[in-house]
Amino acid sequence: MGILPDEIKPAMQGVIPSHVVTCSRDGTPNASAISQVYYVDPDHVALSHQFFNKTKRNIEENPRAAVWVISPETFEAWDLELEFVRSDTSGPIFDVMEMQIEAIASMVGMKGIFKLRAADIFRVIAVTKAVGERIPLAEIPGPR
Amino acid sequence: MIPDRVVELLHGPTWIQIGTRDEALRPAHALVVGAMVHDDRRTVTIFVPAARSERLLRNLRENGRVALGLALASHEAYQLKGTYVSSRPTDDAERTRQEARRAALLADALKAGYPPAIARPLVLGLAYTPGVAITFRAEEVFLQTPGPGAGTLLS
Repeated sequence: MGILPDEIKPAMQGVIPSHVVTCSRDGTPNASAISQVYYVDPDHVALSHQFFNKTKRNIEENPRAAVWVISPETFEAWDLELEFVRSDTSGPIFDVMEMQIEAIASMVGMKGIFKLRAADIFRVIAVTKAVGERIPLAEIPGPR
Repeated sequence: MIPDRVVELLHGPTWIQIGTRDEALRPAHALVVGAMVHDDRRTVTIFVPAARSERLLRNLRENGRVALGLALASHEAYQLKGTYVSSRPTDDAERTRQEARRAALLADALKAGYPPAIARPLVLGLAYTPGVAITFRAEEVFLQTPGPGAGTLLS
């Protein structure tokens, strides 16, 4: 049994952008949006390495990352604590992510700008629901 | 000094996130629900739900390092880096500001093409009260819009 619950999978389909925070060796945090956090298996995710070089440099200096994802179905958000494992520039994970990034780029008008350079694979150290960040769906006024 | 466009976005319908880290250099994330740039154009107060503030404030009191990422639905994006100054509970005027910002954020998300079934719960589901106002001094501003200029130091 892995650490990621099945209910988190819709949050990793790239419908709503995710966020990633990294930290350099000198202790400076870096906050960035990311097109997609890809579900690899119950203990691993992949982040798309496209062009955000500071995030990439930080990961090379300090393998830890904090990622925020949100489900477009339940609107529950999660915090993930990650540790970098490896960077794939080919193979099945890279191929699927490349196809999905191209689809996202077409949808948001970023074709030719969004280009997958690598699928960065991370081990999930911890996952927690972002309790207190969201108002429950039943309490949101008006029609959905 | 924070550029005009970045001030406009900090006060407008922008998705904002704060990044901090602890003594072991473990990064942490929280969504920001509104921001206000002070008259000196260097000091910024941001608002986060109190329920999400404990780890954030512990990190900031330990080491003071702040990264603030902001992005529009159009992908125009910037990042501020700076140093923590202070925190306190949000007041009535700030809650009113946050409510106005949520309405603007929803309008912007719909204009950007998000279906109402996603935009409404996504935006109106943002908790903001009780809230904490966190003030920091911005020392660097970077362009972060995807493309060849990403990472450019603006100020």
